[in-house]
Formats: sequence, structure tokens, C-alpha cells
Amino acid sequence: MRAVPRAPRIEGRGLLTLLLIGAVGLSALSVPWGGDLVHPGGGSAVGSIVKALARVELSPEFLRITAYAAWTTLRFAVAGVTLALAIGLPLGVVASGVLTRSGGRKTASIVVARFVLALLRSIHELVWAWLFVVAIGLSPMAVILALALPYAGILGRVFADALIDVPEEPLRALRSAGASEIKLLVYGRLTIALPDMLGYGFYRFECAIRSAAIFSFVGVQGLGYQIQLSLDDLLWNEVWTLLIALAALVLLVDAWSSQVRRRLVS
Amino acid sequence: MIAIRERRPATRPGLVRVSAIGFGLLAVLAWGQVLAGGDSGAGDLFRGDTWTRAGEFAGELLGLGAEGESAFVDGALWQNAIGLSVETLAMSVLAAGIAGAAALVSFLPAARNVAYGELGGSRRAVGVPGYMVLRLLFAFTRGVPELVWALIIVFVFSPGVLAGALALAVHNYGILGKLAAEVVENMDTRPARALRGAGANNFQMVLYGVLPQALPHLLTYLLYRWEVIIRTTVVVGFVAAGGLGREFRLQMSYLHYDEVALLLICYLALVIGVDLVSAGLRRLAR
Repeated sequence: MRAVPRAPRIEGRGLLTLLLIGAVGLSALSVPWGGDLVHPGGGSAVGSIVKALARVELSPEFLRITAYAAWTTLRFAVAGVTLALAIGLPLGVVASGVLTRSGGRKTASIVVARFVLALLRSIHELVWAWLFVVAIGLSPMAVILALALPYAGILGRVFADALIDVPEEPLRALRSAGASEIKLLVYGRLTIALPDMLGYGFYRFECAIRSAAIFSFVGVQGLGYQIQLSLDDLLWNEVWTLLIALAALVLLVDAWSSQVRRRLVS
Repeated sequence: MIAIRERRPATRPGLVRVSAIGFGLLAVLAWGQVLAGGDSGAGDLFRGDTWTRAGEFAGELLGLGAEGESAFVDGALWQNAIGLSVETLAMSVLAAGIAGAAALVSFLPAARNVAYGELGGSRRAVGVPGYMVLRLLFAFTRGVPELVWALIIVFVFSPGVLAGALALAVHNYGILGKLAAEVVENMDTRPARALRGAGANNFQMVLYGVLPQALPHLLTYLLYRWEVIIRTTVVVGFVAAGGLGREFRLQMSYLHYDEVALLLICYLALVIGVDLVSAGLRRLAR
């Protein structure tokens, strides 16, 4: 079997593997092994969690609560993503630098827009949410903004790259027909890049459901909130129902978005 | 699920259009409900005192108007924050390691072409039950976010680095497992078939026919996930009480906003650092 040709640059990969294993080993040192890593009641907690799976809460009343919580989570996700698109698209256009011809102003606007996008997406949406709740008070709008900002940061960068990657030939044709930069953007770049951009937007929609569910941590309604309520009362059978509902909602949107992407992305 | 999806006719006219209209309707409905609720907070955004308060908060983050010494010039606070950053980094690496190792040992049976025996040329579908169980496990662990896993895991494990790393690992295991299984499903099966034809056993076929193609992809995905994990480690730390997240939560509740800002600076440095290192390492993986 030695004769099987090895892939090129196996050294790089071997080095990388060693590096990664070393890093994980080093990280494991920061765990205080031994002692009380597991709760005294941890074993019995596992027992009751597993047992509860056999009697998942399925009463019509609780299913109604679950369905309403799922809709609340979906509502925040949809609102957040639409706002993220509204913020991310113009920022992405500026960050791509396709509207300005060249020179110092072009470089400056690209650098500033890319920096803003990077800052927006570097901070997790829940950290944004907490900061917003303190700054402007707890309200649906504060949470939607918190979801929209980091998502706008991600969408903006992806949109910028998609606009830059548009093939040159159709643009040249438009340019020689006398199209202005704005028309070039609308009829050329945006039209060509739209499938990729929509596809990625739909993918972020799936992520937004999970993000919306954890905003319960700052006190917002939804599936996460119900999970916390049931956890407080140690009602594991209800926790299972809610977890399954959350996973199902995510998978449903995942299936939808991957169907859409399959048709959009070449 | 995947199997059913792929057997559908490839062209379903209008799905994109229907989806776009459907999402548009959802958006109208969602925004309608948000704004119709009297306490949406949208009106507050256009009131002066909201922004006065937000401005005051921004000032407190920057340490303006705080009595006593600002947190930014306090060496002990910096030392503490840097120590917590190292702990956060360790948590993220440990999480990525656990998730990667778990995905590595379970992604093969989760690939459809392996489960149905197509990869090896034998048509016996002995691995189908295992395939279904694993795909269900991937879907469930992936569908539940890290923070919710953390809420559950602290019932079993004591709060700390390990509990946080496990919560992050569970969610990322589902993602990595699915991605790695899809790599095997979409890869070039000719090397594996050729090895099988030359009389290789299962182990040899996987070692020389499958892993050389699949592992670089898995490594790349793992590094990408690490960039996401480091951002989320802070959030999981709120619950699992490890690293920067624990201190962030504490200082938020003490209203020590300049210390919060200091922690945010460390967080940003960590995120940017991990992005750079990951990009460098990804080049090695190629």
C-alpha cells in the first residue's frame, strides 16, 4: 500500500495536525481535572433527563405554548434578518468600492466600510443585545437591532465580495453603452450577483432562528425563554418538547434555505 | 432526509419565486406584529431621552465621569482580563478539539454512500440504521444553540471551562459531523473503488481512499468553526461561568461599565487574533 501516491504538501497538513493536537492538549491543562468537575447530583440529573425523554410533554395546552413561542422566535429572526439586509446591502456596496472610480476617496471609503463591517460582526449578537438593553431599555426593537448589527456585518462583507467577483465582460458591455456607475451597479453587478446574495441571505436566516432563541437570556420571549422557565422548575419532559421544537424549526428553515440555494447558486 | 431530497426532480419551477414571496409575507407579518405591539420600542428610537441615556451609557463604557481611577489604567484589572482571555482561548480550543474528535470518529457511517455500501462497491446497505441515528443526532445537536446546551450542561457538570467547552462542542459536533459526511457523499469515489478492486480491506480503503480526500476539508471546516466558537465562547461563559463571559456578566451586574469596556477590548483582540491565526492555518491545510 506504500505505493499509493501521497497528496502534495502533506508536510503542511502533518504540521497542522500536530499543532492542533498540541493546542487542544495545552488547553486541556486549563481544566481543573479531578476534584468536583461533575456535580454531586450530576448523575441523577442525567438519569432524570434521559427518563424524561420517554414522556415528552405533549398535552395540547403545552403544545400551544410551544407553537406560540416558536412563532415569537421566528418573528424576531425574520425581523432581524430583514433589518440586517437593509443595513448590510448599502454597507456592502460601499465596502466593495464599485461606485467610486479610483483614487484616495475610493480607498478611504472601502477601508472605513470594511472596518465598520468587521467591528459589527466581531461582537456576538447576545453581547450586542445586552449592551442595547442597558443603553435603550428592553424592547423588541433593541433585540432586533442586536440581531441585525452582527448579521449586517457578515452579510455586508459577503455582498461586497460577491459584487467584486462579478465577471468583467457584461460590465464592459454596459460601460461602452454609456451606463453610469449607478446603472452599472443596478443592471450589471447587482443583477448578476443577486442569486449568490439571496442564497447567502437565506442561509443567515437559518442561523438567525438559533440567535433569536437565545435572546431569552436578556429577557425576551420565545423558545429559549420557555426552555429557561421549564429548566427552573426541572420539568425535563417540557424541556425535551421545546428542544425538539427548536431543532425542528431550525431544520425546517435549513431544508427550505438549502432548496432555495440549490436553485440559486450555480 | 437527504435521500428523499435528492430524488426529487431537479427543476421545480418557481420555488425561488414562491420562497421570495413567502419570506416577504413572513417579513410583513413579523414586522406588523412587532410594531403593532404598543411596547415595541420602535418609537423610543425617535425620542431624545433614549439617545441621551444611550449617550450616557457610551460615556460610562469609556470611563467618563467615573469616580476614582479609570479601569483602563488599572494594571491589576488588565492582568485579570488577560488571564481570562487565555482561559477563554483555551475553552474555545478545547471545544473545537472535542467537537472535531467526535466528528472524526463518527462522520463516515453518517455518509449516505458509505451506509448504503455504494462506496465499497458492495450493495449491502448494512449501515442504514446507524446512518439514520447519526444524521438525527447531528440534526438535533446542531439545531439547539450553544447557550441552551450550556444551560442544560451546568445541571450535570460544575460551571467552568470544561462545562463551557462541552456546550460549545455539542453544537459544533452536529455542524462538523454533517459537513464532513457531506464531503464523503460528494467526493470522488474512484480511488476507494480502485483500492477495493485491488483487494484492499475496509480499513485500508478508508485510510488510503477516503481520509486523504476528506480530512483536509474537515480541518478547514474545523478552523472556520473555531472563528465562530471564539465569538460564542463569551456568551457561553455567561452561563457556564468560564473566561471573559463570567467576568462580563459580573461587571454588567455591578454596573462597572468601564471594566465591561475593558473586557470587550480583550474580546475583540481575541476574535481578531483567532481570525488571523485560523486564516494562516487554513493555508497549511490546503
